[in-house]
Formats: sequence, C-alpha cells, structure tokens
Amino acid sequence: MNKSLFALVLTLGLGSLASVHAQQAPAAPAINDAQIAHIAYTAGAIDVTAAKQALNKSHNKAVIGFAREMARDHAAVNDQALALAKKLGVTPADNATSQSLAKGAAAEQTKLAALSGAAYDRAYAANEVAFHKAVLAALDGTLIPATQNAELKSLLETGSKLFHEHQMHAEHLAASLK
Amino acid sequence: MFRSTILVVSLLTLGWGLAPAFAATPATASATTQAQAVHVIVLDKMVFGPMPTGVRAGDIIEWVNHDIFEHSATARDGSFDIDLKPGATVRTTAKAGSFAFFCKFHPGMTGTLVAR
Repeated sequence: MNKSLFALVLTLGLGSLASVHAQQAPAAPAINDAQIAHIAYTAGAIDVTAAKQALNKSHNKAVIGFAREMARDHAAVNDQALALAKKLGVTPADNATSQSLAKGAAAEQTKLAALSGAAYDRAYAANEVAFHKAVLAALDGTLIPATQNAELKSLLETGSKLFHEHQMHAEHLAASLK
Repeated sequence: MFRSTILVVSLLTLGWGLAPAFAATPATASATTQAQAVHVIVLDKMVFGPMPTGVRAGDIIEWVNHDIFEHSATARDGSFDIDLKPGATVRTTAKAGSFAFFCKFHPGMTGTLVAR
C-alpha cells in the first residue's frame, strides 16, 4: 500500500467511525478507547507480519536488521497493549479503520510476495516509510487526542515516538537501497 | 520517568559486615578501597533520562532500562556500546571526558555523559 492509500484508509476509516458515533450518541467521543486500542494493535500487528515476510525473503543485511527491529519493537508495544487492556477490563473493539488497514496490508503483502531480491528490498523499505508516516499522522492527529484513558494515552504517546524513530530508520534504509 | 540516585558506598558507612555482599560485582568491589559514587541513568518511554552531574572518572554509571523496548547506549566515538534489553541494568565505569551517545536502534534517543 502506498503512502496516499494508507492515509486514505486511515482518513476514511476514522471519518466513518466519527460519523457512526455522531448519529448514535452525539455527546460521546468520535472514537472510543476500545476502538483506538484495536486500531493501534492492528497497525503494530501489520508491521510485525511485514517484518516476518522480510526476514523470510530478504538477504540484505540492513533490511534484515531493520525487519528484526520492527518485529521486536512492535511486538513489545502490542504485548503491552494487551496487558493494559486486560488490566483495564477493556476488550479492543474491531472497527472499520482496523478492517481497512488489515485489508490494505494483506494486499500489500501479496504484492511484495511476488517480488524478490533488490526489487523486494526497495519495495519493502518504501512501504515501511509510507506505513509509518501514515500511522504516525493518525496517532498524533486523531487517536492520541481522542484517547480518554491516561495509561492508554501514555502508551500511544510512546508508540508515537517509536513510529517516528522507525520512520526515520525506514527513510535511511530506503535511501541506502536506491 | 527519570530517577537519579547517587549512592556513596564506603565501608565507613556500611560497616565491614556488609562487605562480602558487595564483593561479588567488580564495580562495587572497588568501592571497598575508595568512596565511589554510583550514578543512575534511567531509560523509559523512548527517552534517556537527564544526565547525572558531578561524575568523576572511576565512578559507576548504572544504566537502567525501564522501557519495554531493547535499547543501547552507544558512544559516538566508539568508546562504549552497551546493550540494554528491556528491564536490564548494566554497570560501567566512567572515564574522564565528554561522551555523546545514542541508541543504535532508535538514533533519535541521545545524551551526553560528562565525567571529570
């Protein structure tokens, strides 16, 4: 999924959530914490899956190092998110944004699976740049401001710093592969 | 959350009876011969906490990773490269100088340690 498509999925998905909630309960937040937790978890899981594919396909040392970092860091955030949800007694709620993200990511995985060698490495790195940029924009622009629970907000803020670091790393990786 | 603690460990204050308990680690074993400060640097939420002040060469730097991510404290001049897994505590001995360092996994995380 390219940058604009990721951004479109997040924008449309978050917009539809806001619309549904506006009709049902005008006073309620556009997105609730259970939905936000699900979106954040889904984004992390998508990148872990992409990293595992990279670890299976790539022979490039820099790409493999990057993929290991993505798998390790995003798994850590998601483990923490699950533990927090359990502690708070919240069940992450599936929603249109999560579904759109998952569907788009699956399509991207299929496209990447058809590539190999340097072409795969470049496409993976470019996709990682776009993915982190789009999710970061959604985190900072919509998800974190809408989060009600302080612990979840803190975890998402840490996630935002992580996504920022990963985006920079992905940009350096992509530049090195050109 | 930053937490800086300076512990001055000496036999004068701890008494001879506690000495064997500290003899197991090289860092604190040296405290048996001279007063030696321990400076704690805490990593949490993708940030190195504020750097300790008043560090002297020979003091102990205790790197504590409270974060959920693996980090490193990697000197830009190559003088140290400390791996810090989640929950890890690693002790090093300070050398005189000013050392800019970063996390090699998350290079936006930086700090500068100064020891006289």
